[in-house]
Amino acid sequence: MFRNNYDNDAVTFSPQGRIFQVEYAQEAVKQGSVVVGLVNKTHSVLVGLKRNAEELSSYQKKIIEVDSHMGIAIAGLASDARVLSNYMKQQSLGSRMTYGRPIPVDRIVNQIADRAQTNTQHYGKRPYGVGLLVAGVDEAGPHLFEFQPSGMIHEMLACAIGARSQMARTYLERNLEKISNSTRDELIDHGLRALKETLSQDKELTVDNTSVGVVGLAGEDAKGKIESFKLYEGQQLVPLLEALESGETKEDETMEVDS
Amino acid sequence: MTSIGTGYDLSNSVFSPDGRNFQVEYAAKAVENGGTAIGIRCKDGVVLAVEKTITSKLLKPGANNRIATVDRHVGIVTAGLVPDGRHFVSRARDEASSWRSVYKSPIPISALSNRLGSYVQAYTLYSSVRPFGVTAIVGGWDSEAELAVDGQVGSGPRSGSGGKVDGAQTGGPGLYMIEPSGLYWGYYGAATGKGRQAAKAELEKLDLSSGNLNLVDAVKEAARIIYVAHEDSKDKEFELEMSWISTLEGPTKGRHEAVPQQLLQEAERAAKRALEGDDEEEEEAKANEGEQMEE
Amino acid sequence: MNHYPEVWGRPRDDVYGSYNPSYLQTSGPKTHTQSPAVTGTSVIAVKFNGGVAIAADNLASYGSLARFTDVKRLRIFGDSAVVGFGGDVSDMQYIDRLLESIDIRENYSAHGNTLNAKNLHTYLSKVFYKRRSEFNPLWNHILVAGFDENKNPFLSSADLLGTTYSAPHLATGFGAHLAIPILRRLFPEETPIEKISKEEAEAALRECLKVLWYRDARSLDQYSVAVITSDGIEVKENQQIEAQSWAFAESIKGYGAQVN
Repeated sequence: MFRNNYDNDAVTFSPQGRIFQVEYAQEAVKQGSVVVGLVNKTHSVLVGLKRNAEELSSYQKKIIEVDSHMGIAIAGLASDARVLSNYMKQQSLGSRMTYGRPIPVDRIVNQIADRAQTNTQHYGKRPYGVGLLVAGVDEAGPHLFEFQPSGMIHEMLACAIGARSQMARTYLERNLEKISNSTRDELIDHGLRALKETLSQDKELTVDNTSVGVVGLAGEDAKGKIESFKLYEGQQLVPLLEALESGETKEDETMEVDS
Repeated sequence: MTSIGTGYDLSNSVFSPDGRNFQVEYAAKAVENGGTAIGIRCKDGVVLAVEKTITSKLLKPGANNRIATVDRHVGIVTAGLVPDGRHFVSRARDEASSWRSVYKSPIPISALSNRLGSYVQAYTLYSSVRPFGVTAIVGGWDSEAELAVDGQVGSGPRSGSGGKVDGAQTGGPGLYMIEPSGLYWGYYGAATGKGRQAAKAELEKLDLSSGNLNLVDAVKEAARIIYVAHEDSKDKEFELEMSWISTLEGPTKGRHEAVPQQLLQEAERAAKRALEGDDEEEEEAKANEGEQMEE
Repeated sequence: MNHYPEVWGRPRDDVYGSYNPSYLQTSGPKTHTQSPAVTGTSVIAVKFNGGVAIAADNLASYGSLARFTDVKRLRIFGDSAVVGFGGDVSDMQYIDRLLESIDIRENYSAHGNTLNAKNLHTYLSKVFYKRRSEFNPLWNHILVAGFDENKNPFLSSADLLGTTYSAPHLATGFGAHLAIPILRRLFPEETPIEKISKEEAEAALRECLKVLWYRDARSLDQYSVAVITSDGIEVKENQQIEAQSWAFAESIKGYGAQVN
């Protein structure tokens, strides 16, 4: 039944220095539906594929606004994500309350990572079963962080986690240059394309199963310094999905011309 | 490790019949897989360097720092489980800040290392926790000047009770390495992680105890040593991260800071040149050998 | 003299009446210090085109005694904020240590200390308010000078009650009475701060400090000035009030030796 004796809790090292419980928790992330995140020089975008448990049920939320300058996308146990996002919301409000400053993204990401680490070092706790992509802006510009159940965090240029996310990562790696130099709208487009790569044959992106979150630095003529986090769901997605389709047909045409 | 699997290695804080604590040994195994980290102590400062393996093309270059600032004058680099390293650093920051609130002065590197050693050791004592999967190198500079007490106002009496001793000399560099068991030693040059063997061999060649190496040269040596230690795992790309702490008169004014970009790049170029040079020499030697054989 | 040791050495009951033991009570409500001990007097500050200038003298008084004469009451935070402290000096030292620890914490991040003067003022006013709500006030009145998030000059005040207010020029303590009228005359409300030069602002501060030195008995003729611009903070400590003229004192009744 068990692979070995060293995987019953998170406080036991294997002879190779591995902690199996933590590694198993990472597997829970791979069970979740896919989310993609990417940044350019001004914006940070999250894109997610929503799942519904059954035909008549609603879709599970994939992207959560934490504060006006930050949002997260989740893959894995949604209830663990809620615990973490509530904590992030509290910390963000705390920073605005005591300093009148939106909390720096790297700091809050470190805070949840430190919490996650604690769960891997004490008996009776379990690691979080969720992976997060955190998108936000602060004084240092737009950021994208990946958070894992182990408490590992990485600042990324682009990232995808969840089921079949490898396809999305391949797309992101191939287009990294283009993504970094893209405009805001192109960035969203790249995100949706990466997400599309992960779909199985019979599926497609619809207004029901897609979620997009955007946050970034405001343009020169805008009022504030940042473009607040905006979540696109339902009918708001129509123009984004249309742009995606028209872009694809255009490419098909050019390909035909080439041949 | 003949006792593996006999049940004495399944719980922390348990001795095996031959007096070993296996969970601590296993934690040390986690360290051996981590990227190489080194520290060099010279008369005019301390250098910390770490090899960051690039696990994905999608990682943001130059971000994801692995060397942490603990207090103005202290830096820590860890090898092993990165999240455990952050826990360790967070404790170090708490210790440094509580020292300041009690003594109104920066914590000496020796005192900090001592407290951290105790903290890590405590995680080997209980079955309810696991040991730290990191070995940490703590580097810092104890101010050589008489420091104003935090929050001090005015300059105080010039002589007499509470007056100052002219030319009193204190402080200096500090470099310590703390292992998962809680054991720690002070070092002239410390190395841990995957490439520690090669790095140690290189550090020993530097003759650090003589005090002839200066800080800027130590930066270059540190870069070279990380490159040498990386040789074995050549296929994987890596990023070099370095930080330093100098004397109050030196380039960082007693503070722990990242090595400036320009110097870092210079050191990396020199490191690459040194490595290529070695390869060429070896090849030449081999070629000569071949010729001799033919003869 | 009797055989009760607790009354030995005490005034005799038959002469002075029995001792009221309530004086010896150690129980009772917990109390906190509600008044300052060693104090600094005014802090004054003026916004100008592209920055803020702030000044305070170098004296810490113990009651009416000029106790410490080289006390720096302008404290620098990060690379673009200065806090000027009036009121209790030991509380100022406490807050300064607080600022020190915040600066160290901010610098853990690779991006460094991103708290600006406005953030700092928000924070400190909350510290003051929390402490007064615990009936354990930090006995200070401070001015925070620097920049806000849009890089505009920032100047605001916070006091021991957590009260805050802001204006293009501010003063605490005696300065609130003596310096503000001068500053209002020099820089009327309708003058935009863009019309005020750094030199004018600094000169105005020096002028105000001179008047304060003339009329505030808790002031000193040695002082510090800090000028904050986008180039950084320029602090000049150990400044001396120049060109004093005490001739005016002769004509004032109650000033100096002439008492009636």
